[in-house]
Amino acid sequence: MKDIYILGIESSCDETSCSIVKNGCENLATVISSQIDIHASFGGVVPEIASREHVKNITFVLEECLTKANMKMSEITAIAITYGPGLIGSLLIGLEAAKTLSFIYNKPLIPVHHIAGHIYANNLNNKLKFPLIALVASGGHTELVYMKEDYSFEKLGGTLDDAIGECYDKVARVVGIPYPGGPSIDKLALVGKATYKLPIPLNDNSYNFSFSGLKSAVINLAHNEKQRGRDLIKEDLAASFQTVVVDTISKKTMKALKDYNVDNLIIAGGVAANKLLREKLATLCTENGVNFTFPEMKYCTDNGAMIAAAGYFAYKKGRIADLNLNSKSNDKLN
Amino acid sequence: MILYIDTTSNYLYSAIVSNNKIISQVKEQLDSDLSVYAVPKIADMFDKNDIAKDDITKIIVVNGPGSFTGIRIGVTIAKVYAWTLKIDITTITSLEAMALSSKSNTTYKVPMIDARRGYVFAGIFDKDNEQIFKSKYIKLDDLKDIVKDLNDSYSWISNNDIDVSNLEAYDPDILKICNKYQDKETLNPHLVKPEYMKLTEAEENLKEAKHD
Repeated sequence: MKDIYILGIESSCDETSCSIVKNGCENLATVISSQIDIHASFGGVVPEIASREHVKNITFVLEECLTKANMKMSEITAIAITYGPGLIGSLLIGLEAAKTLSFIYNKPLIPVHHIAGHIYANNLNNKLKFPLIALVASGGHTELVYMKEDYSFEKLGGTLDDAIGECYDKVARVVGIPYPGGPSIDKLALVGKATYKLPIPLNDNSYNFSFSGLKSAVINLAHNEKQRGRDLIKEDLAASFQTVVVDTISKKTMKALKDYNVDNLIIAGGVAANKLLREKLATLCTENGVNFTFPEMKYCTDNGAMIAAAGYFAYKKGRIADLNLNSKSNDKLN
Repeated sequence: MILYIDTTSNYLYSAIVSNNKIISQVKEQLDSDLSVYAVPKIADMFDKNDIAKDDITKIIVVNGPGSFTGIRIGVTIAKVYAWTLKIDITTITSLEAMALSSKSNTTYKVPMIDARRGYVFAGIFDKDNEQIFKSKYIKLDDLKDIVKDLNDSYSWISNNDIDVSNLEAYDPDILKICNKYQDKETLNPHLVKPEYMKLTEAEENLKEAKHD
């Protein structure tokens, strides 16, 4: 069988990334230009600044990627692009670049949903086994997805308000820890104790999540402690917050596995890098005989390799777009 | 053969120019569909005229000011094209293109783009299309005062509905623009970037906060 080389382009938020992946699993080259330092001074991603950075970076990233893989555009089989969801201005830079390359080289254009990308980041380390439940948790997403086979997605539930990563950033800001909040809180929590009492969010039978109440509870707690003249013990608050978050997510994830009689779990997205979450799920999966896999740290955050990997399976299913493809800030995974 | 691209407004203006002739052109109001149709409509010009992508020897892209999103669409297409096929690329501002396309015989030409809240992006050009007032983001009322002080004939140019008398509607003379700018200095495609003429709101707030 002829090898398939997919060029994947990702620009949905604050990372301009491009990768070349062979046959949906072998990462030949990945280049990521992160804007994290630029947005740090604003305490979060500023969409217009993100778009401005993407347009500056895009050709540098493409060129470095091709050079790293020692390949020419003519050797690429198809171009996969994150069409959504994400920040519309950011998405459009990747999209227009992908469409231009598709037009010039007459290569198929493959639209990839960002969440599908996160899920297929796992395929770069271990081939996905089906059926599976995917827990996607990142700055913009918190979802449970059931997959019967390759490139078939059934969303079981998701967040009703804030994404979990967003909640981490907000909590970090309240307690005065640097942006991005996820890694900082994860690190602090390791040396703290879960002594603060926080509400358990949306403790029901659905597969949905809700984190805005928890976020408000942390803000109120910080405020009350200050009014009482007590120092907020950041480590303990981080540990308390993490415990509630990880318990909630784990509980619903395990429920989905049981209800759907599935014994493969994967996690994906930036929050999949969270140490406590990985440990907790690993323990629960071992106890319940579930095969648990997660991507390497470098594939957890946004990158072109995950888009190229997902793009391979989309391509195999004939999901090709024409040059009229548009970006969508919101779109259902299907 | 020159490829001209301007998506800085709600219009797509694009053309392929060869030997002082327009081979094919698009002048179409696309509004929010610019991101959908810019590439396919440019592609159509190539297909219909049987032009190969590497027949292009120069790309002229209008890099702003105007709609931030619009500017980025055209600049991205142009720089990716120029970079991947190693084609010469140069930029011009939308205000230069507007001044050059004007059919007025006035001493001065004042191209403007609506920037909302009483502001415009504007410049002032003389008869020879030399810029005599640096293009910038300016309050319309202030611009009106400056123009009045010129004490000579002038014409306003825009394709936005701006509150001035005798507004000349902008219709790009792409052939004239290409002829004038085809020999302009070539840029490294990686370094081709938009000319927004305005910081983002977040940057302005940060600047103000530092100032206080």
